[in-house]
Amino acid sequence: MDTKTKLKKALADELNLPELNAPGFDDDAPLFGEGLGLDSLDAVELVIVIQKHFGFEIKDMDEGKTAFSSINTLSAYIDKRLSE
Amino acid sequence: MRSGMPNERAGGPEAPRTWTSRSMGSAFQHQIFYTLIRILGRRGAYFVLYFTVAWYVLFRPSVRKRSSFYLNRRFPVRTGIQRLWDAYRLSLELGKVLVDRAVLGILGPDKLRCSLTGRDVLLSLIAEGRGLILVTAHAGSWQLSMSSLGNLQSPVNMLIHREPGDVDRHFFEHGEQEQPYRIIDPLGYLGGMLEMLQVLKGGEVLCIMGDRVMGGESSALTVDFLGGPIRVPFSPYKLASATGAPIAVIFPHKSGPDSYALQVARVIRVPENLGRAAEAYVPYAREFACSLEEFVAEYPYQFFNYFDMWTQPPSRPDSSR
Repeated sequence: MDTKTKLKKALADELNLPELNAPGFDDDAPLFGEGLGLDSLDAVELVIVIQKHFGFEIKDMDEGKTAFSSINTLSAYIDKRLSE
Repeated sequence: MRSGMPNERAGGPEAPRTWTSRSMGSAFQHQIFYTLIRILGRRGAYFVLYFTVAWYVLFRPSVRKRSSFYLNRRFPVRTGIQRLWDAYRLSLELGKVLVDRAVLGILGPDKLRCSLTGRDVLLSLIAEGRGLILVTAHAGSWQLSMSSLGNLQSPVNMLIHREPGDVDRHFFEHGEQEQPYRIIDPLGYLGGMLEMLQVLKGGEVLCIMGDRVMGGESSALTVDFLGGPIRVPFSPYKLASATGAPIAVIFPHKSGPDSYALQVARVIRVPENLGRAAEAYVPYAREFACSLEEFVAEYPYQFFNYFDMWTQPPSRPDSSR
């Protein structure tokens, strides 16, 4: 299972977001606000889900800001971190 | 004069605030008090304050209105002259706090004493290594009292929003004093949540106001306070659940003419991984509300929320989460 698929499955299961796996979901859509509709408190859940499923902590929150733009940016960030 | 006065309800789910932290006084009025403090000291400024507050309470109906929301709950049977006196005392205490804050900044830290009761408790919580969340309220002079947290041997971070155009200064902005805590803006990226998470993961102290919702309605839940439901933020409890950080509820109060005291009211432990639903955090927010009720029972004129905390939003987005 590639990173993006694994990420979407983890977020769909943990954050109760089945629309992530719906056909036609735009992986470039913003995660927060309009788009997937997550709110600021969900950022905490997002960090925890990534730690739980991918085994690393997002400690540099400046990096997190960029990564949390969309599913595609988050997936790319995870790949980058896992390859380091 | 800081008001917490009603704001126009802005549209959109992320901006339903009914309060503002902007001062009621103009920059010129503030400068008058700063000058009085420089020339006459704290007592001279207090002397003028007695009359200034009386003028505001007698001739500005909006001041009486804003204080009535809380006073109606705290002293429900009082009316007429008694209620006017309550409004005066409450506004006078707030005025003293603002004068004291300027005194600290202008005349130096030796002009006011700030004590911390429960330091050992806080140190033991910090020693757990998972960060520490301090939940407090707009009571006493939280800014002054927070300066007494400097000896906790851990960096202190505060979630504070400052209104654009607010002319009221933090005490450390009057002179060369070092800012005793780092400020996180709740209106920053993702409500400052990532920054808050980061400081807790670093084992630092994070201070959050538990009595005002600074984000949108989606970050609030309902608990009872003084006999009616109010909306409070649940971010402190969610962060505690996510990080395992303990919560200490602390309240500052003016304990004498030139002294303030910061006390640990209770410690709250939130179980880990409670998830997204706001309802899961209600018991812990309720503990905070109970502590706040105990505080206002003891210090009725040192709680400064000049807006209707008991107004409920038309819908509850969190209930569907």
